[in-house]
Amino acid sequence: MEILRRWLAIAVLVALGQGVTPAQAQTSPSKENRIKAAFLFNFAAFVEWPANSLPAANAPIVIGVLGEDPFGSFLDDVVHGEKVNGRALEVRRFREVSEATNCQILFISDSESGKLTDILAALKGHSALTVGDADDFADRGGMIQFATKDKIHLRINLEAAKQAGLTVSSKLLRVAEIVKGGKP
Amino acid sequence: MTKLKSSPIRRKLMAIMLLVSAVVMMVTCACFFAYEFVTFRQRMVQTLSTLGEIVGANSTAALAFENHDDAREVLTALRAERHIVAAALYDKNGAPFATYPDTLDAAAFPKAPATDGYKFENSYLIGYEPVIQGGQRRGTLYLKSDMEAITERFRSYGEIALAVIVGSSLLGFFLARKLQNQISEPILRLAETAKAISDRRDFSVRATKVSADELGSLTEAFNQMLDRIQTQLARLDLLSHTTRAIGERQDLPSICQVVVRSLEDHLPIDFGCVCLYDASRQALKVISVGFKSQELAEKLAMQNQDIINIDENGLSRCVRGHLVYEPDILEIKSAFPQRLAKGGLRALVVAPLAVESNIFGVLIATRREPNSFDSADCEFLKQLSEHTALAAHQAQLYTALQQAYDDLRQTQLAVMEQERLRALGQMASGIAHDINNAISPIGLYTESLLENEPNLSARARDYLQTIQHAIEDVAQTVARMKEFYRRRETQLTLTPVALNQLMQQVVNLSRARWNDMPQQRGITVRLLQELDPNLPPIMGVESEIREALINLIFNGVDAMPDGGSLTLRTKTADGRVIVEVSDSGIGMNEETRRRCLEPFFTTKGERGTGLGLAMVYGAVQRHNAEIELDSELGKGTTVRLIFPIPAGQAAPATAAEAPRALPARSRILVVDDDPMLIKSLRDTLENDGHAVTTATGGQAGIDAFRAALKNSEPFGIVISDLGMPNVDGRKVAAAIKEASPRTPLILLTGWGQRLVTEGDIPEHVDRVLSKPPKLRELREALTQCLAAAHASKPS
Repeated sequence: MEILRRWLAIAVLVALGQGVTPAQAQTSPSKENRIKAAFLFNFAAFVEWPANSLPAANAPIVIGVLGEDPFGSFLDDVVHGEKVNGRALEVRRFREVSEATNCQILFISDSESGKLTDILAALKGHSALTVGDADDFADRGGMIQFATKDKIHLRINLEAAKQAGLTVSSKLLRVAEIVKGGKP
Repeated sequence: MTKLKSSPIRRKLMAIMLLVSAVVMMVTCACFFAYEFVTFRQRMVQTLSTLGEIVGANSTAALAFENHDDAREVLTALRAERHIVAAALYDKNGAPFATYPDTLDAAAFPKAPATDGYKFENSYLIGYEPVIQGGQRRGTLYLKSDMEAITERFRSYGEIALAVIVGSSLLGFFLARKLQNQISEPILRLAETAKAISDRRDFSVRATKVSADELGSLTEAFNQMLDRIQTQLARLDLLSHTTRAIGERQDLPSICQVVVRSLEDHLPIDFGCVCLYDASRQALKVISVGFKSQELAEKLAMQNQDIINIDENGLSRCVRGHLVYEPDILEIKSAFPQRLAKGGLRALVVAPLAVESNIFGVLIATRREPNSFDSADCEFLKQLSEHTALAAHQAQLYTALQQAYDDLRQTQLAVMEQERLRALGQMASGIAHDINNAISPIGLYTESLLENEPNLSARARDYLQTIQHAIEDVAQTVARMKEFYRRRETQLTLTPVALNQLMQQVVNLSRARWNDMPQQRGITVRLLQELDPNLPPIMGVESEIREALINLIFNGVDAMPDGGSLTLRTKTADGRVIVEVSDSGIGMNEETRRRCLEPFFTTKGERGTGLGLAMVYGAVQRHNAEIELDSELGKGTTVRLIFPIPAGQAAPATAAEAPRALPARSRILVVDDDPMLIKSLRDTLENDGHAVTTATGGQAGIDAFRAALKNSEPFGIVISDLGMPNVDGRKVAAAIKEASPRTPLILLTGWGQRLVTEGDIPEHVDRVLSKPPKLRELREALTQCLAAAHASKPS
């Protein structure tokens, strides 16, 4: 019985492992990007925005993508129908940072890493949670950086978040690396 | 349980108290345990769910950002809760995310989370806690806790409970030891008292009242019961003492006295008496009043011999056999209770004295205090009255027995006396026979001379007549002697009796007693006769009246030991003949006067038989006469006999004297053993012209008769004596009749009268003549016998 159960467990694990990878490969974003999309969505639950950032009670939380979108429609699928703290979520894509000042979460694509300093400067005074996957994103003043080694890690520049008036849940901080001495 | 039943009350109480406290403790503990068990499980669920929420909350980021290490780290924190044996996190798709502890195989965890919630399963508490962040479900936390906590908790609870039970039992034991005394002590004291009473039979012991509760009431009731028993015992004792005292008395007054006295002293009562019931007068007569009641009795007119009338009150109920109790006689309006009330008496009990439901008296007991007789008193009085009645009855029986004994003794004495008289009589009878034989020739010759010798000188004739009277007197005296042994004639042959002549005879006959004997003692008794010369004759038996008069004269003489006058009186009054004998002697007292006619009553001691006046009384009654007694002490006594005068006055007896024809001459055989008598009979009969042959004995007579018959010269008649040696008159008669049945036979006897009166004429005898024979009677007998023989002879 015990043996049988063990075999069954192994079979399930194998099936799971094999089943996920080919399915994801068929859609356009990579598995890594799909995880990043899910994380973007998840940040909404672990961050609190200042009250003036979301004046209306039923105003949606806007997740913006600045620059080249690595997620495709996947991100839209992730947030579709979901609600965080009673608010719906909305994905918007921007070319220019000036368009993106009303976002609550702004993913700054790798394609914009050359203009990163300007972008961050442009966002000053707005309470958008900046997320990026550039290597020194957090060190340069971004708030959350996706750092990929074996798996995706989070690096958080807490000072930058504080300056933007955001409160990051300690729970999130538990699973992230806090960047010290980074540019706020 | 049986052991408990037989164990002492102290132990029972202890056992009950300890049992109760132990049971209460156990039930309390059981309730507590049950409560604890339920609440502890709830608490466990609560604790686990709280833990689940915390762990879940801490796991949200790990789940959200797929940080397995962090998730494991969070779960590892559960190490602090050692009862958590397993925990796992599942992502929102239900896939396992992290497990705890590392040592457990994956198969030990559920493959997928079940419904949210907590439940007990196989002594484990299993819970599925949703992991939610920002209103979004991130996954599920699985927690598995063992129940060791409960077990541990209950083990320690059990230890505590055991300690508490033991401790409280010990405490209870000591408390119970103290407190049970409150209950067991009075009971034990009661028990000890009861035992002491039953052991020592001492009913004066009382139990001490300890508390005022039911046990106190029980003690009081017990003491009251003892009071009653003691009273009852005292009553029983009194009853027994009184009964014994009664038993020692033999007469009613002293029995009643004992009863009343003991009631006064011991019951006690204030006034008591015993009364006898007179049914005919419907009254009670007081016969015994208590010593202490005397004063009151005087006041209430209830002293000895006082009469209480029975009206429709308690007394009438009592004499119908009921015990009557009046708690307060002031409320009773009838006479008797009111009478008692005047003496300050209030409570009254009247108990009937009855023998075999025959009420003969009542016992009256009273007290000054109203309502003071209780039912025990009444019962006691009832029993006492029953005993008293019984004793009184026995006393009556005893008296009756004594009376019967006395009567028997008297009768025995009388019988002895009669026996003595009978012996005397027999002797007298022998003497009489001889005297009769002896005087027969005298009588016959005298009569013959007076009749056949017309030339007798006047003097000779006078002398002969005196001789004739003397002989008649002797014959009479001898005849009276016979009275000693003779039975009295039951059938009286009444003949006219001249009382004056009889009186004269009596005077002559009793002369020795009233004249000679007193003179010898130097005393003079004067005899006075006051006889009515015109007294008519009465019908009677001369000898009886004579005897009665002689007795009266004897009594009169005896009543004058110092002399005096004796008066004999005859008179007629109111058409009746009265004969009086008066003496001037000592007289009779009331009792003697009352009893003097009773047989065997005598004032003369050994000299008297007590039969004299009794005989007189008998004779008077037989003559349809009356007797009166006038007597005064010291003055003398008069006895008066009152005879009725017969309706048709018969002609005087003397007129019957008529000249008689001589019987036809005949050949006569005279048989007697007395030659003197033979000679006188022969002389007188030959003088009458008869041919007389004599034989001096029975056998000789028979031989002579047969010889004459043989020689064809038969005798016409045979005269034979009765009493002869060898062959007596009866045998002679038998032989004669055998030889010649038609030859008449006259039997001559000293017992002649006796034979006639008893109807005992022997067979073969035609006529019986008594000695001394009178010539007149002899002639008459011969005439009749010869005439009869001639008539019966075939011609």
